[in-house]
Amino acid sequence: MNLTVNGAACEIDGSALTPLLDVLRDELGVTGPKAGCHQGGCGACTVLVDGEPRRSCLMPAGYAEGAEIVTVEGIGAPEDLAPIQQAFVHYYAAQCGFCTSGMLLAAQAYLARGGSDDHESIQEALAGHVCRCTGYAKIIDAVAAAARGDSFDLTTTAVGKHTTMATGGAE
Amino acid sequence: MKVVGARIPRYDGVAHVTGRTTYVDDVRVPGTLWAKALRSPVHHAAVTKLDTSAAESMPGVHAVITWEDVPLLEYGHLSALGIPADEPLLAKDEVRYLGQPIAVVAAESEQLAAAAVAAIDVAFEERPALLDVRAAFDPDAPKIHQWGNWYPHFENEMDRRQIRKGDIDRAFEDADTIVQGVYRPAAIEHAPIETQVCQVVPEPDGRLTIYSCTQALYFSLGVVAAHLQQPLNRFKLVGGTTGGGFGGKVDTATETVTCLLVLKANRPVKWRWTREEEFLCSSTRAPWHMELATAVTRDGWILGQKMLTLHDAGAYARFSPYGLTKHSFHHTGAYSIPHLHFDGYVVFTNRVPTTAMRGFGVTSVSFAVETHMNRIANLLGLDPIEIRLKNANRIGDTSPNGVSYTDPSTVDTLKAIADAIGHELPADYRTMTNEPRSGELLPEHLVAQVGSTEGH
Amino acid sequence: MAKHTGRGIAAIEYPTGMNQNGDPSQCWIKVKPDGRIDVFAGTADIGNGSKTIQSQIVAETIGVPYDWITYDNSNTDSSPVCTGTFASRATFVAGKAAEKAAQEVKRKLLDIAGKELEIDPSDLEIVDGEVVAKGAPQTKLSVGDVAAAATWGHGELITGTGAQLKPYAAIVDPETGEVDLPPHSAISYAACSAEVEVDDETGEVRVTRLQQCYDVGRALNPSQVEGQIEGGAMMGLGLGVLENCYPYYPSVEHRGGAFGSYLAPGMEDMPQIDTIMIENPSADGPYGAKGIGEMANNPQPPAIAAAVYDAVGVWVTELPITPERVLRALEAKAEPRREGKKVVFDEELSVNAVSSGGIRFEVPA
Repeated sequence: MNLTVNGAACEIDGSALTPLLDVLRDELGVTGPKAGCHQGGCGACTVLVDGEPRRSCLMPAGYAEGAEIVTVEGIGAPEDLAPIQQAFVHYYAAQCGFCTSGMLLAAQAYLARGGSDDHESIQEALAGHVCRCTGYAKIIDAVAAAARGDSFDLTTTAVGKHTTMATGGAE
Repeated sequence: MKVVGARIPRYDGVAHVTGRTTYVDDVRVPGTLWAKALRSPVHHAAVTKLDTSAAESMPGVHAVITWEDVPLLEYGHLSALGIPADEPLLAKDEVRYLGQPIAVVAAESEQLAAAAVAAIDVAFEERPALLDVRAAFDPDAPKIHQWGNWYPHFENEMDRRQIRKGDIDRAFEDADTIVQGVYRPAAIEHAPIETQVCQVVPEPDGRLTIYSCTQALYFSLGVVAAHLQQPLNRFKLVGGTTGGGFGGKVDTATETVTCLLVLKANRPVKWRWTREEEFLCSSTRAPWHMELATAVTRDGWILGQKMLTLHDAGAYARFSPYGLTKHSFHHTGAYSIPHLHFDGYVVFTNRVPTTAMRGFGVTSVSFAVETHMNRIANLLGLDPIEIRLKNANRIGDTSPNGVSYTDPSTVDTLKAIADAIGHELPADYRTMTNEPRSGELLPEHLVAQVGSTEGH
Repeated sequence: MAKHTGRGIAAIEYPTGMNQNGDPSQCWIKVKPDGRIDVFAGTADIGNGSKTIQSQIVAETIGVPYDWITYDNSNTDSSPVCTGTFASRATFVAGKAAEKAAQEVKRKLLDIAGKELEIDPSDLEIVDGEVVAKGAPQTKLSVGDVAAAATWGHGELITGTGAQLKPYAAIVDPETGEVDLPPHSAISYAACSAEVEVDDETGEVRVTRLQQCYDVGRALNPSQVEGQIEGGAMMGLGLGVLENCYPYYPSVEHRGGAFGSYLAPGMEDMPQIDTIMIENPSADGPYGAKGIGEMANNPQPPAIAAAVYDAVGVWVTELPITPERVLRALEAKAEPRREGKKVVFDEELSVNAVSSGGIRFEVPA
């Protein structure tokens, strides 16, 4: 079986019925997509299959034969971050980072189909991606900023848009 | 200051967004075996038969571990604090919760391991289960723990955590109203996106490298070393990057068993819990049952609080005695209440043992005390912010267990919220501070509870 | 079918550090021959950002740029003890150990620099990676040169170690609960206003807004503090209206074994979250910091419960506040029982109603 992963042709020994997630992680060593639940419920396994976000834990590898598979490793690298990756860094949109790979790819697909910075649209596009750490707010802010085409200062993180710093109390 | 106080991006931020952060499940070690557990299908039962021979002889199965393989079977999560152990690493003669691990298999593949688990010959004689903490004290309640149905080893072998301050009967006498309520927050899951997982590798020098998702490297190292009766340097625990924890990855749920499998199989082993195991078998936040009776004056002074807490520990103690103690120290919430009568019990039930979760011990207090305070305000026709400001901790007020507050800021945070929601406070409330009580803010009933205003 | 809005308030406090203390954290630091700083700590980063915070503390304390710091918490061979990342202790306790270790490194750097410059170390300071004479900024030596001088000139390894441990408050009076020592490192405070919209036909509670004020002592990294506050808010919202391991508690039946049957909050549940941070510094935390991670999910459930009462006039005191519970409460229209000066709510939930006498909660009328 042949798969195209992040632009590279790969020959797979495993069965066509093995979940694509497990083929990517265990056979190809592509560990960006995470095994959060193997139930299709969390989104951490998300990869792009011909540009569409798909739950790789539920997709038999054979279904992806002939398609372009893109994982988080394929959208940018530390020395050349994609705008959405820069946005996540600048907006502090990742804490433990375990949901981040899947979240980024869903966001990338949303941007690729012309998604706007409207928060409800972003929520709808990313719904079904579970994050337990961030409370989602900064993820939405990051995607909105990337949708606007903002440029990002990677030496600092953004002030939360509903945050007020105040001094108080005894000193 | 240049760095502290600045919005510096995450140290591992770029790694996170490029999929390069290495979590336990990303570690690749050739020859790694898969672990799967045989878990109790019932709430409470004697184990009348446990025969692993069929599983052991299956091709591709390299090790099966039961309680017999564990050098020190019971090591308490709070042993270092002198709290006795009560929980076997793997079930011995009985099971006390649905999902309790009985045996664990290491095999060449996940499917083989699952098949081997199914081949283990195990039989149970079911016993009545105790599930309702309120019924645990009844003479006809099933007895489900060797210590009885509630933890009996607080100081001086007390069977409860007790706080007494002032004179609660006096408070009830002096009160204009006594408000009673019952508060029951639920057990919830930590549900981090990374499930429980560990990978253990035998090293040529006889050491074991443990790749762990623990929140507490050294605590887990100590637990493993104690169960295996080995010095700390027999193990190298590799971790520090956890895919979410929230208190659920302190229990050291996988490391010890995986080490035992490795020692028996002499191959690397990974034990990665399924999401279903994570939901159904991993420890949870505790359900709590709290009853409050609060003595109040018509102008909103809280004179006294009587409280009964039943903490649902599940089948074993784990960190529950610690959690209840912390709960008791904070059971008045953000308020200075002079007359207190608190009794708290760690109650055992036949469910998954409960553990620490974000706010351990105090999340429950906050729900009970704050909902109760809102009820009180509503009953007395008082403003919910003003009644809080009046009773809020001030510098020098003392906690339920006699500790002076040195820098409380309930007043500041409440005033900030009042401002934010456009709630106009009367002048005498607007000018309140955290400073030690005096004048109208120091009525007679609060005098005795004032302590030292020195720092700690 | 009508939607009703309501608001509720909560004010909370929460301790920093393991209850009763006795929870050590340690840190050790070495300086490379070019002045770059290697930090070793045993603190697990579970998403809370402790790698970042400890690095910031070390950089600030020594006086070098943040990107001079490498941080290694990866294993128990090279990292010293940290009791763990829980009890909101990572920033205060582990951070304090890092601060102490960094202070020792700074002293040693100034010592060597003093010898090199022939100036008393107490007349020197470190700014942006350079050792500078106070009041005479043209007299300076880079930290890199100091480290090189230490390595190849003085034959010294510049290290620092720090250990933070508040003594274990061992004595708790079994009768009164009084303790011999304060059982915490610090206490943090917060207040919350929750706004909800309750549908009186479906019972659904939508949390529409959370306005929260947190005293964090000092926000060592304000974005990370916001992250804890926002993430905690959603977890508190889950505890308040969505999540339950045991939907029919105390029964164990019908547990959710997957996302979807277990209702972890999703994007569709987000309220607007407004955060006000105030800084009432702790007495002895690093740069005045206090813990924040856990308390972030404490004020929402009671604020939401009060908001539900404000909206539709029922008190639901069993969490989560599900549509079923709201509808049952609306149907029951329960009033508290009055007896003398007692106003008694929730009698059907009490031990007095359920136990057969094994335990009672008695209150005089």
